[in-house]
Amino acid sequence: MSTQSLSASRQTSTINALYRQFLDSSIALKVAAGAIILSVWEAVVRTFGPAYVTTPTGVVRAFPKVIVDPDFLSKAVATMEAVIVGLAIAIALGTIVGLLMGRIKEIRYALSHYVNSLFTMPMIAVLPLLSLWFGHTSATRLVFVVLVAFLSIVVNVTDGARGISEEYLEVARAFRVGKIRTMFDIVLPMLVPHLIAGVRLAAGRALTAAVIADFFLAIPGLGYYILFNSRNFHLNEAFVAVVVLIVAGVGFDRLINWITTSFMPWLRRD
Amino acid sequence: MSRRARWIRNCIVILSLAVGATAWEIGGRYVGEAFMAPLSDTISRLWELLQSGVLLRALVDSLSLFAVGFVLAILCGFPLGLLLARVRPLRVSLESYVTMLYATPMVALIPFILSLMGFGFTPKVLVVFLFAVFPVLYNTIEGARSVKPELIEVASSFRSSEWELWRDVMIPFTLPYVATGIRQAIARGLVGMVAAEFFLSPSGLGQLIIVGSYNFDTAAMLAAVLVVVVLGVTLMEAGHYLESRLAVWRRSAQ
Repeated sequence: MSTQSLSASRQTSTINALYRQFLDSSIALKVAAGAIILSVWEAVVRTFGPAYVTTPTGVVRAFPKVIVDPDFLSKAVATMEAVIVGLAIAIALGTIVGLLMGRIKEIRYALSHYVNSLFTMPMIAVLPLLSLWFGHTSATRLVFVVLVAFLSIVVNVTDGARGISEEYLEVARAFRVGKIRTMFDIVLPMLVPHLIAGVRLAAGRALTAAVIADFFLAIPGLGYYILFNSRNFHLNEAFVAVVVLIVAGVGFDRLINWITTSFMPWLRRD
Repeated sequence: MSRRARWIRNCIVILSLAVGATAWEIGGRYVGEAFMAPLSDTISRLWELLQSGVLLRALVDSLSLFAVGFVLAILCGFPLGLLLARVRPLRVSLESYVTMLYATPMVALIPFILSLMGFGFTPKVLVVFLFAVFPVLYNTIEGARSVKPELIEVASSFRSSEWELWRDVMIPFTLPYVATGIRQAIARGLVGMVAAEFFLSPSGLGQLIIVGSYNFDTAAMLAAVLVVVVLGVTLMEAGHYLESRLAVWRRSAQ
């Protein structure tokens, strides 16, 4: 009997310890904070807001319906496709132009004014011009996303290509290494951290750009889904699209982190 | 850079600007006013808008929208960031939400702001604020985290009060990071400014651009875009200046 009670008390003490650990752990704090934020939101809207205003429970109720709705899915796919295809094109073009600008100073002098001023201006201001050129079509959205992402990558790759230390290149020249091998063995590997920084910046901006284009062009996409549903006071349904965008935004960031830590552990930034 | 190299650089810059201007002029004449007004028409329209006072009013509208949202973002983001950095349970519980919102395309919230708050100045300020606040908040937390624990320990073993600790250790060491946040906030806030002027009640430079595109009046549109470019470059230069000034401080402080 004594052994039994002993093991029982040991068990409760381990449970207690686990419980205390849970209270101390950051996950518990995070979950609690999230729960508090959501319940304050819910309470405030229920007390003061009209019935159509977005509430967490409303979004949760709308979620299963919206997420299997083929109309929603096709729009989500359209926007994400524009972001991913746009990013891919921008990475290819941006790396080439950035390399040229970084390594050949005549090209840098000629282009840097254009690149820098376009990079610092809010690109959204030229969207109406693009819509005149390419119409209210998904092509305009793609061009806009490519443009926004391209500039972020060019600026970063140019910085990287300029920063390659002359010593390495001198050694390569001394050993009569060919231009192509120098490019693949020295220049490109040293460019990777800058390219990753550029892609990280470009991914966030591209997502924003795609949603702005959806709004402005009123073409099928997540932005348009949000606009249409919020105009009809289906704010909970519209917010499901925002949740998808948050997941996409955080997801891109995590993906880039994961690629960096698992394939290029020497670049990890802590 | 030698004198000769600088001379070559200036020549190339002038040449490339001349090529760009010529291409704009010839391209504009070739495709027609409805697609892209030539440079000469854009410049003369810019002069007209400037003389009639339309441009100045638009600029003042846009800038005041930007300024109010931006200043509010700093006034909220910086103290909140410091608070989160100092109070550990708060930081642990809220940091990942801040990171999440930092990566969220805030532009997606504009339709909600439109249907809940309607038209007017306040909802537009809210848009600029939402675009600008998270870079400030995020970078302040990063900066305050980078303050060495030894410094805080020394300060507290010399019995410095909480206020002195903030004034002498936390704030000076966090400022360089805040400057980076402010620079990001300028860039995002400008996007928020134009987005608010496009999608909420049209006003300022955004209205000039949008009305130009509805009327196929590309000369007026491009004139306004040029002003936006100048505004963006000027504000970002100011941001860079602030950042480099505070970065010097950071180096000398360590």
